[in-house]
Parts: sequence; C-alpha cells; structure tokens
Amino acid sequence: MQTARQQDPQTLVAAVRGATKHYPGVLALDDVDFEISRGEVRALLGKNGAGKSTLIRLLTGATVPDRGEVTIDGAALTGSGTQRTVEAARLGVRAVYQELSLIVGMSIAENLFLGRWPSSMGVLSHGEMEHQARETLARLGLTLDPRRRVATLSPAERQLVEIARVMIGEPKLVILDEPTSSLAAAEVELLFKAVRSLAGAGIAVIYVSHRMSEIRQIAEAATVMRDGRVAGTVEVAGADTAEIIRLMLGRSEQNDRLVGEARGGDTVLSVRDLAVPPKLAGVSFDLRRGEVLGFAGLLGSGRTELLRAIGGLDAVRAGTVLLDEKDITRGSYGERVRSGIGMTPESRKEDGIMPLLGVDENTVATDFSKVTVNGVISASRMAQAAGDIVRRIGIKTARIDTPVGTLSGGNQQKVVIGRWVYAGSRILLFDEPTRGVDVEAKSQIYAIIRELAAEGKSIIFVSSEIEELPKVCDRVLVLRDGRFVQEFVAPGIETDALMAACL
Amino acid sequence: MSATTTTTSRRRGFRLFALDMNEIGLIAILLVLYFGFGATTNGFLSANNHLSLLRDAASIAIASWAVTLIIIAGEIDVSVGPMVAFTSVCLAFMLKADVNVALAILAALAIGGALGTFAGSLRAYFGVPSFVATLGLWSALRGMSFFTTNALPVTFPDNAFLDILADKIFGIPTSAIVMLVLFAVFSFISQKTAYGRSIFAVGGNANAAELCGINVARIRVLIFTTSGVMAALAGVLLTARLGSGNAGTASGLEFDVIAAVVIGGTALSGGRGSMLGTLLGVFVITLIGNGLVLRGINPFFQEVVRGVIIVAAVLANILVTRYRERRTFGA
Repeated sequence: MQTARQQDPQTLVAAVRGATKHYPGVLALDDVDFEISRGEVRALLGKNGAGKSTLIRLLTGATVPDRGEVTIDGAALTGSGTQRTVEAARLGVRAVYQELSLIVGMSIAENLFLGRWPSSMGVLSHGEMEHQARETLARLGLTLDPRRRVATLSPAERQLVEIARVMIGEPKLVILDEPTSSLAAAEVELLFKAVRSLAGAGIAVIYVSHRMSEIRQIAEAATVMRDGRVAGTVEVAGADTAEIIRLMLGRSEQNDRLVGEARGGDTVLSVRDLAVPPKLAGVSFDLRRGEVLGFAGLLGSGRTELLRAIGGLDAVRAGTVLLDEKDITRGSYGERVRSGIGMTPESRKEDGIMPLLGVDENTVATDFSKVTVNGVISASRMAQAAGDIVRRIGIKTARIDTPVGTLSGGNQQKVVIGRWVYAGSRILLFDEPTRGVDVEAKSQIYAIIRELAAEGKSIIFVSSEIEELPKVCDRVLVLRDGRFVQEFVAPGIETDALMAACL
Repeated sequence: MSATTTTTSRRRGFRLFALDMNEIGLIAILLVLYFGFGATTNGFLSANNHLSLLRDAASIAIASWAVTLIIIAGEIDVSVGPMVAFTSVCLAFMLKADVNVALAILAALAIGGALGTFAGSLRAYFGVPSFVATLGLWSALRGMSFFTTNALPVTFPDNAFLDILADKIFGIPTSAIVMLVLFAVFSFISQKTAYGRSIFAVGGNANAAELCGINVARIRVLIFTTSGVMAALAGVLLTARLGSGNAGTASGLEFDVIAAVVIGGTALSGGRGSMLGTLLGVFVITLIGNGLVLRGINPFFQEVVRGVIIVAAVLANILVTRYRERRTFGA
C-alpha cells in the first residue's frame, strides 16, 4: 500500500524522482520516488539489498542514477564523479555512516573542523575553533568539552560528535545510517535528543534503523523499501509492526526450505548465563549434535559478540561454556580449536582469507600437522587433502594453488568453511557465511551446511538476513537487548514472526 | 601465457626454482652489472676479486635470510649491525678468557637468540612496534659494545677452528659455504614447513591466521629469535675473519640487509617474498659496492649511487607488482 503524503513544495528539502539504477546483474533501484521536508524525521527500512544504500548514495551524490533525477533544496544534481558529492554537500546533504570516521588522537574541536580548521594568516586559531565547536555542540544540547580527545569518549559520545560534525556549514538533510547499532540502550536517549535538536532547527533527517521501538519514538513517517522499490510510506503512529514487516518482506517464498522436522541429538555445547558487557547480559542455550542453530537479531544486537565469546576470542564477565560437559569458559581460542570448534568470521576479507596464499594452504592452515611428514609439508598430501575439500564443497578454482584473493566471494567463503571441514571440527560457528556472495553460491552454502549437519556436526548460523534462517535452521533463537527473547523450532518457522521478534 | 598464470599460480613442486618476473629482472640487472664492470674495470674478473665478492656477499646474506622471514611476516628488524658487533665482542671476550671455542660460539649464538627473542616478545605480547623494539636494541647493543671495550679491539689467542672459518674450503671461502647452505635451509623452511608457511599466513593476514588457530604470537617471537641467531652467526664469522672483536664493526649492515631483501621483491607490507629474491638482492648490492670500489669512485659518492639504485630497484618492483595485481585481482 502506498500512503500518499502530501509534501508542500515550499518546505521540500530533497526529492528523488523516477530514479532507476542498474548494477551488473542487479536492479538496485527501480523507478523510485522519495521526498522529505524541512524538520521531518523519516525512518527508512528494508532488508539487506532492498535498495536503501543506493537511495542514500543517490542523495549524497555518490551514485548517479541511470534514469530519473535528484533534487536537493530545489536544485537538481548535475555533476558526475566526486564533483557530484561536492555539489550535494554544498547544497546541504550530510551523512553519518556506521563506521565512525573520527581521528581518535585529536580533540573533539579538531575533529569537527577536520581539514577546515579556522586559522588566521596561516596559523591555526585554537581559541576560535574551540569557541565555534562549543557553540555547535550546544546547538545539539551537548555539554562535551571540545578540548577532550576523541579517544577518551564512549561510543555514544563519538556518535554524537559525528552528528555534531554534520552541523558545520548549513546542513539541510542529514542521513543517519543505523546510528544506534553500536550503542547500549541507555545511550540511545542522548542520540535522540540530538536528532530532535536537528529536526527542531528545520533540518530533515533520514533515520535508517530497524528497531521499531526507536522508530516510534523518533520518526513521524517510515519509508519501507523492498526489491529496489519503495514498498510504502506509512505514518508511524497509525501503523502496526506487522504491517511494516509485510511491506519489508512482501510475499515470502517458502518452498526452498532444506529443513523438514527439526533434528538434533545429544547436547554437545552448553552455554549458561554468558555475560559480556555491554552487549550480552546473560545468554543461555544448548547446541545439539547434528543441529543447525540460527541466531537472529538486528545489527548491534550482540550476535557477533556472542560468537566471539563462545569461541574464546573475547573475555566473558560471567557465565559458563561447557563442551561435552567440560568447562572451557577460560580456555583460549587455540585450545577450543584443538577440541573441535571452528569459526568463520563475519568479514571474510579482513579476518577470513590469506589472499596471497593458495586455496590449498588456506585450507590446511587450520592444521598443518595432518599434511606434514617428519616436519616437512608433503606437497602431495596437501594437494590431496585440499583437493578433497575442493571437490566436496564444490569450490571453483583453476588450480589447487590459485591465490584465494583471485576467487569470487562465494568461493572464498567456501574455502573459509572448508578449512574447518578439513580440520575435522565438530562445532562450527558461522558468522554471516552468506554475506556478499551471489544467489547461487548462497544456496550452495545452505546445502553444504545441511550436509555437515547430516554428518553429525553441530552448527551455529548467524545471519542478518532473516529470511535465510528458516531455510537452513532446525532452531532459531532471537537475540534482543543482550538476551534470547524467543525460540523458534522447525518446521514452520515463519520469516515474519522471526522479524517481529527481532524488531 | 598471461602474466597471471606465470607469476601467481606456479606449481608448488617446482616452486623452489620457479622464477618470478621480479627475479628474472634481477638476474638481468646482475648480468648487466657483472659484464659491465667486467668489461670496463681492471681486476674485476680476477679470481681474487670473485673470492672477495663471495665473502662480501656472505657478510650481508647470512643475516638477510632471517630478515627476509621477518619482513614476510610484516615486521622489521633494524638491529642487525649492532647485534653482529655485540656478539662479536662477546665471543672475543670469551675466547680471551680461554673458554672452549665451541662453547664460546654456542654461547654467542645463544646471546643473539635471547636478544632477538626479547625484541620479538615485546612485539608479540606487548604490541611494541618491531621497528621501535629493534631500534632500541640497535642503540643499546652498539652502546654496550663500545662501553665494554672502550672502542678498542678485543684480541684473543690464535684459534685453529676460527682460522678454518676465516679461510677457504676447496678454494671457496668458508663464510660463502655457510651462506649457501643456509640459503638452502631457509628456502626449505620458508616453503616446506608449517613454521615457514605460517610466516606467510601471518604476514598476509594476521587476523585470518589467528582464526585458523595459528599461534601468531609464537611465530612473531620465533622469527626474531631466528634473526638474532643469524646475526650472531654473522658475528662469529666476522670475528674469525678479523681475528678480534670490534665494537664498531658491521656499521650500517642493517641497511644493506633490508635493502637486499626489498630489492629481492619481498613486500614491506608482508605476505610476499622469497629467499631466491633476497639472494639476488644481496648480489646486486655486493656487485655495486665492489665495482664502484674497483673503479675508484669517490667513496662518498658511492653511497649516493647505492641509494639511487636501491630506490630505483624497489620502485621497479612496486610497479611490476601493481601491474600484476591489476591483471590478477582486477581493477
């Protein structure tokens, strides 16, 4: 449904009309219209790949639409390349992304004016800078001392400094991309205060978030995107969560499920009251043999932190992790690897692959000893062991020693999974194993996961793409505010019910 | 055949001998230098000069093998020169005190290993950048050598074993034989052992290596231990050649070593490099130094020429790498 919101042309800050954008193999935006007025806070929602980022990139000038036009404050963007982003910035578009871009060794004031420090006759004027910084912070209702170094600030305070930075110059449209994902619940109120100050000053705010409770507090209207289109724009006050979920998901296809009846044998891993402040406040669950257990939750709900704590990569404050009824809570990551736990990281490129080494070495790196004879790596054993994995998992590579960096994302991910199959791990922790891989590779990865479970391995599957959890998981636990709030058991896990439990 | 297949997906079985584009380029440079100096410089092609070339190469190369591993792991070691001098002084003191020669040499190697382990532990367990940790050693060891010797050579009684080290076996300088044997050993370690491949893994992506269960900290300590032992070995050979321990010896050796490694195509950013490249890099540096001396070029100007050639070689290497990556990884 499409609720027509009447926009007074006098107060219109930004408008996108009939925008279409193709990327190779993907239609990212399909004839999208979007308008926002002065002083309005608009929530923007949609699944991964729904087109939110592309829409934001259109507004900031980072992307040029194939068709359609973008108007900021009455002027259409005309440039291309970096010129277009400069043009959009000059017209008053500012964006704050999830990855913070502050220089932690410098003061708040220096960060606010980064690259444009007030100076007289070539000499920086620190007094003037601090004065202006204090004023800027005050406009957002903040009382931070501008001389403090960013390194001494909490995550929330850093986020606020990022927002304060966009106040420099004359902002007309501020885009906040999941601003609360790295914040603890108590810190969110500070951010809301700043957002309200922005709106109060007549600035339009686009607030990308999926936390319904936040959206209800801060936004008047929510625009929901799906498959490159605007699925609808609704008044937040009059809309219930179910309606927004329906707009996000559309008609859901349920016929490609790989799970029948939920299965699982004896408990192999048992986690009790695990606490890792500030993200996890007492998490308990059991993982059974031959089971695929999904963790659902919004960005920032603590999914990755939980996996890292189970893997022994981060210290835990309280609680226990039992492997085969043996307490391994204080054991190191290395010890857990040796006792049969394997982990694939969320960021394949930064933490997963060794790009210059071959598929073979990337595979056997989890256990060189299996291919070593008398202290020497046996080329034939390595080729054979890696070849087995390549065939078994279906890794497409020209040769067994092709550098992993040259493979496609999906094949890289299969190598990262395959190295634990090679190591013979019994408990596999997969953090976003399908991120950034194409559709075909995704379904192959689902099939691999089910096959591993059928062999009796136990798998924890973390995903931010809610709709893939029902496809592969025997059970799904929903993480919210640092706790598991709900459990779903196959068959019959419904995506919209899962989504509702997450929001 | 495209650059992709020739340079990045060589068969491992032949890897010890397979040539990279960079290595082919270095061999060409070496041939030009060799025949260039040979044709224009009196005495360059003499048998004696070849022996001296080998000795000079050995003094750089033995430390370079270990430093190659360090740079592949994404670290750096600038303490080589003072480490050589310090272990040389230690050895001389022990020999002067009539300690058994085998024991004294082992003790010198152990001292080098311990100091390297110390620097490596600072890096691995406390996060002190390896440049800073080894810079500290660089200053402290040079100072310690001068302090304990008052800048005077430490002499010791004649010793038959050290004479063998200083002399020739089958007409080849002993130090050159040690160099070549260690070249084979380090090539093997870097290509064929879990330790060697873990070094490449750590240099290529330390986070990923850690998640694979590789003990990254242990690797980081071990490479500096190895480097300390190798520098001490170079110190032993130098002491044998000079017949005394000298606090001021091996001055600037660390720069020759690092230059040889990077000329050899090992990336300072880690993850990529080869012993063969370093061997060629050592010969490039040695040939330039030797040739310029024989031509009677002003010694101060020699430094200028050396500086220019080092930067030019590394620049060429970077351009080749960039070209290759565009071909391999796309855009």
